[in-house]
Amino acid sequence: MSRWWVGPSLVGVVVVVLALVPLVANNYYLALGVSLLYFAALATSWALFSGSTHYISLATVALFGIGAYTVGVIGEVLPWPLVLLVAGLIGVTLSLIVGLSTLRLSGIYFVIFSFGLSELIRQLVTWYEVNIHKSVGRYIFIDINQTQIYWQLLALTALVLFAGWLIGRSRLGLALRVIGEDEVVARHAGIDTTKAKLVMFAISSLFMTLTGAVMAPRWTYIDPAIAFNPMLSFEVVIMALFGGAGTLIGPILGVVPFVLLFEFLSANFPNYFSILLGLVFMVIVYALPHGVIGFVQKRLPRATPPPVEPQAVPLKTAGAPLEVVGLRKTFGGLVAVDNVSFDVAPGQIVGLIGPNGSGKTTVLNLISGALPSDAGMVRCDGEAITGIGAHHIARLGVARTFQLVRVLETLTAVENVAVGLTFRRRPLHGAEAEAVARGLLARIGLADKADQTAGQFTYIDQKRLELARALALEPRVLLLDEWLAGLTRSELNEGIALIRSLREAGLTIILVEHVMDAIRSLCDRCIVMNAGVKIADGPPAAVLADHEVLRAYLGDANA
Amino acid sequence: MLVVDIVLTGLIIGGMYALTALGLTLQYGVARIMNLSYGEFLVAAALSTFSLYVGLAVNPLVGLLIVVPVAFALNWLIFELLLVPLVRRAKNRDVLEVDSILATFGLLFVIQGVALVIFGGQYFSYSYLSIPVSVLGSALAVNRLVALGFAAAIGIGIYLALTRTRAGTAIRAVAVDPVAAQLVAIDVRRASAFAYALGGALVATGGVLISMFLTFHASMGVEFTMKALIVVIMGGVGNMLGALVAGLLLGVGETAVARLLDPGLTLAATYVLFLAVLLVRPTGLFGRSTR
Repeated sequence: MSRWWVGPSLVGVVVVVLALVPLVANNYYLALGVSLLYFAALATSWALFSGSTHYISLATVALFGIGAYTVGVIGEVLPWPLVLLVAGLIGVTLSLIVGLSTLRLSGIYFVIFSFGLSELIRQLVTWYEVNIHKSVGRYIFIDINQTQIYWQLLALTALVLFAGWLIGRSRLGLALRVIGEDEVVARHAGIDTTKAKLVMFAISSLFMTLTGAVMAPRWTYIDPAIAFNPMLSFEVVIMALFGGAGTLIGPILGVVPFVLLFEFLSANFPNYFSILLGLVFMVIVYALPHGVIGFVQKRLPRATPPPVEPQAVPLKTAGAPLEVVGLRKTFGGLVAVDNVSFDVAPGQIVGLIGPNGSGKTTVLNLISGALPSDAGMVRCDGEAITGIGAHHIARLGVARTFQLVRVLETLTAVENVAVGLTFRRRPLHGAEAEAVARGLLARIGLADKADQTAGQFTYIDQKRLELARALALEPRVLLLDEWLAGLTRSELNEGIALIRSLREAGLTIILVEHVMDAIRSLCDRCIVMNAGVKIADGPPAAVLADHEVLRAYLGDANA
Repeated sequence: MLVVDIVLTGLIIGGMYALTALGLTLQYGVARIMNLSYGEFLVAAALSTFSLYVGLAVNPLVGLLIVVPVAFALNWLIFELLLVPLVRRAKNRDVLEVDSILATFGLLFVIQGVALVIFGGQYFSYSYLSIPVSVLGSALAVNRLVALGFAAAIGIGIYLALTRTRAGTAIRAVAVDPVAAQLVAIDVRRASAFAYALGGALVATGGVLISMFLTFHASMGVEFTMKALIVVIMGGVGNMLGALVAGLLLGVGETAVARLLDPGLTLAATYVLFLAVLLVRPTGLFGRSTR
């Protein structure tokens, strides 16, 4: 029996206790409480999106400022709940526009974009206020006192935590973790990465905007320099990272010491505030790279979850026919795949062979949707799958492994496989997914390593795990990219036996391979490529004796 | 002549942007350090030049000979002492990017804090060679032309050094692939340290030159960091000619918006331009497209 309720109830108790604070605290401590809570709400919201996906966003202050300014403009016109509603709607709308246009940027580009966006919004608001509104600042006369702000922030923080807890247990939460780990794997495991990122960005933005709106009455006067202070974005990032952005409660562990430190420094060393802040900041980066949570977790024994009985998984899936018509792909002037066509019958194993650089992996990438094709068409079971997106192709039952093995290193083997189960056409989630995942792991010989993280696995075990994740998608067509490469003799025999058992289960398989023994003993048919063109197609023995194939492999003199 | 005015003023300030961006592209492209404290070094150089000129009557162009070598040495030390530990510990490039952003963000506050303690928050400027001359019918101060001349000479010198010499080729090799560079016997750590220090020297040069004709204050470093970043990303990371074109474009665009529309919209225009480029071509105007 898992004790899932312990965490939430503890948080519930803490929230109730904190709600009583204004009854006993004086104004100074109440103000400190407000500071703590508003950073807690912001840092937790930030980590909801950035902590799991690893997209570092500096747009926090843009959303926070918009929330505050909404109150500045319509705060006295509408009743308070309606003001919050409008602020939330504006925040979500903005986040959707930003998200749709920018989430394909990654790494440093996203960071700089989000920072530039905040500055842009600040400049535009300033210009509007100076030229249209004819005064830089606005007074906020709303009858909301500090105690009410405190309670609203507490409720908001609790709401963020609750939302984060729900998301963490949902399919969306798993999808975001996989995206943070490896976005390519995510797409080929059936995850609609754009949608997942967009939804989470919008949720996180909503909470940030609401925090700004709730905080606005505290200032009585706001101008763009207060509402859009770029420092805020950085402070939130550093607090969340310091606490540990990968967990729900981590950011709050960063907020508490930092807010107290700000308070202490600005009260005692106002002139040296920024020097000391900078030094503390640097010490943290060097001494605590994984945050407080990481530091604690490393020193605590990991709680082992109660084992779930593995469920025997019959691989009863029927293979589907695959049809490739006139596929073409160029990279600049290089024609990597040139007018390639072939059919694969259900339950057939077809070997795709050829010299290095002949376009085999590119063909797999075009079939699985990793690359867009320039021309041509792929049909799976009669249905066109060209250009519909890698995650749709995966859900339709075309699963793949990668030439350079890609496992989700920080997830356990069970979780790796569960990813495939969760986002397929007939999704499984929770305990059921875990049982099936263990069954699949048992089938490929990893039963005893099910709870280890995949990063610790040996090369062959990572390959097995990758195959298990592909099988979890309930594929009808399986694409194996040099899955047998680099194995020892005995591992190779095991591998060949495993693939043969998959064929007996009825799966359609295309394998790109250099190991000739495997090709001879497994393949019903071979397709040979050279310089992007298909040069032979037939039974392995016939194809391997073909004059043109020999010439492609060995050169003219030897053929 | 409004158009000539805008183009000339824009080209001069754009040249400064291009020069500072060249330094940032060395630090980010070669040493793989995303340096958020970059602009602070520009401001520190400007403040030092001011002190030298006003306090000790050292001509700013002579000051260049003092400030730039000091900046080079200081940046070398910063790389070896503060950043090498991060490079060692990083598992991959993404981790190093995030770590260096955070560490140099701390450094930003330290430098800015020290500058504020010494110089306070007021604006500084001094008058050196502010003799008007007429260029194509528009009046310009000599100090601007001198600054532009120096920026052009230094920029061309660096470009030639990087493309024509052995050491320059090694640095460019590290920028393309640090692992492969090791395989052909390039000392990657030394090349990185040198590139980082050279970047620091270039931004200090920019600071000295800008101080001759612009008003500055202790906390305006972030603005220059952002502009250098915008130019680097617009031009394509590691692309020197791209940085030049993007820098000039930014300078002229900014000046045009300030003169024709509203000085209050200058920064906004910069960001609109930048965001648009990022959306259409995430790898920059002249960046290689990624597969």
